[in-house]
Amino acid sequence: MKIDTIRRHFREAYRGIVKNSWMSFAAVGAVAVTLMIFGVFVIFAVNLGSITDEVGDNVSMNVVLKDEVTKEQATALTTKIKGLPNVNDARFISKDEGVDEVKKNLKDADFTRVLQKGENNFLPNLIKVTPKNVSVSKGVEQAVKGLEGIESVKNSNTAKELLDSVLLFKNIILVFGVGLAVLAAFLISNTIKLTIIARRREIEVQRLVGASNWFIRWPFFIEGGFIGFVGSVLPIGVLLLVYQGFVKMISGGSQNTNLLQMVGFADMAMYLTVSILGIGIFIGVFGSVLSIRRFLKI
Amino acid sequence: MIEMHDVWKVYPNGIEALRGVNITIDTGEFVYVVGPSGAGKSSFIKLMYREEKPTSGVVLINGVNVKRVRDWKIPHLRRKIGVVFQDYKLLPHMSAYDNVAFALEAVEVPTKQIQPRVEEALELVGLSDRMKALPSQLSGGEQQRVSIARAIVNNPGFIIADEPTGNLDPENSWDIMYLLEEINMRGTTVVMATHNKEIVNTMRQRVIAIEQGIVVRDEIGGEYGYED
Ligand SMILES: Nc1ncnc2c1ncn2[C@@H]1O[C@H](COP(=O)(O)OP(=O)(O)O)[C@@H](O)[C@H]1O
Ligand SMILES: [Mg+2]
Repeated sequence: MKIDTIRRHFREAYRGIVKNSWMSFAAVGAVAVTLMIFGVFVIFAVNLGSITDEVGDNVSMNVVLKDEVTKEQATALTTKIKGLPNVNDARFISKDEGVDEVKKNLKDADFTRVLQKGENNFLPNLIKVTPKNVSVSKGVEQAVKGLEGIESVKNSNTAKELLDSVLLFKNIILVFGVGLAVLAAFLISNTIKLTIIARRREIEVQRLVGASNWFIRWPFFIEGGFIGFVGSVLPIGVLLLVYQGFVKMISGGSQNTNLLQMVGFADMAMYLTVSILGIGIFIGVFGSVLSIRRFLKI
Repeated sequence: MIEMHDVWKVYPNGIEALRGVNITIDTGEFVYVVGPSGAGKSSFIKLMYREEKPTSGVVLINGVNVKRVRDWKIPHLRRKIGVVFQDYKLLPHMSAYDNVAFALEAVEVPTKQIQPRVEEALELVGLSDRMKALPSQLSGGEQQRVSIARAIVNNPGFIIADEPTGNLDPENSWDIMYLLEEINMRGTTVVMATHNKEIVNTMRQRVIAIEQGIVVRDEIGGEYGYED
């Protein structure tokens, strides 16, 4: 294509947008909202990988042993649990080791002061059991409870609940986002339709004098793609700012509950920019195609 | 050269607009197509620039079977043919100059060539001093001349006109006739459907008469032959 022609197609596309500025504005808005939601989805999807890894670590359960269980019995019990199906690991943690662990994880001075090894240690002996994955943890819990010398099993259910709700959230966003994408494409196709109708005399003359089909179509593709492009810029900006804020807040906050190990800002910026721009332009061009096929009789 | 061999045009509603037309128009000819309204003149013309396809039979433009031309190649066929209508089909928001330039832009003529070619075409139709005028500022005759300038600016081998003087008074009609004659003298084949008895009877060119979809008369130096 000649450079003059390319310049002309862009000029015509621009003319179409300006002419139907309100409709174009609505279409840009719809794309922006869609992509905002899509962007939230991307943030979750990208972070989900690291969240599930974290959850995998936290799915382990603490098996509290009865007081009368001796150290030898406890070691035997640990081996036994290790042999159960779906168990990845079982590790005996004595009262005193428990004190070290708590002190390591918790920096609350008042609480750690009352926690001491020896006679006054009120922590129980326990076995830390790690099931193979979240879904089998319930079964493992049942199996362990059936053994002798077990006081209780403290399962970190919160992890699994968190995971479930994250997955549910992801699906809701996905359905919502697809619906909005369709709406946005429809709005774009509607703007393009208006442009096509406004230009029907020009198109008639173009056909008559022998303009190629692509020459006639190009400005409408560009118009749709441009609406998609402009609709992408705002969500990219907003999401990147918000994400940067999040990353700062979480890395600057309390260290011990580091459940959300978030993906770094630079990586996320790349994922978001590429995917949102790609989808935005795709929605725009798709909207154009809808209109061109229905209304542009060449 | 335009050839039609046993051409039928049947519209989807069942109307047989053309029924077995056989015709040959040589390069450089000037042809009037006459006949009562509804006879099939416009259908005949539309087959030539491939606005319509023949239902059966063969239409050849310079030896090319228009029915076989792939959709994406139709534009190239149309570049060989300039079309002029009764209602001019000018773009109302564009000046005379821009209307003509629009046709060159549409076929991707390099920008540098556009201005000299548009000016040349407008000069040929006698509108050098009205280039900046909008169609609404021009008389009917002037508008038709702009549309003729647009039709010839791409140097087509054929000019096909469907009642180009239908909306004009006698004086303007004659201006358009002289203009088409001049274009024909330069070697362009001209085919013109018309109801203008006076013009046909004065110019004495080849006349093809169509009635109810059939060519009933085809004579060199013919007359209009109807009383309307
Ligand atoms: N697109 C169309 N669909 C159906 N019928 C048509 C169409 N165009 C023309 N006709 C019919 O075909 C016949 C010939 O029309 P036309 O070629 O326009 O004749 P003319 O130009 O001589 O008046 C008429 O009966 C007209 O109603
Ligand atoms: Mg007609």
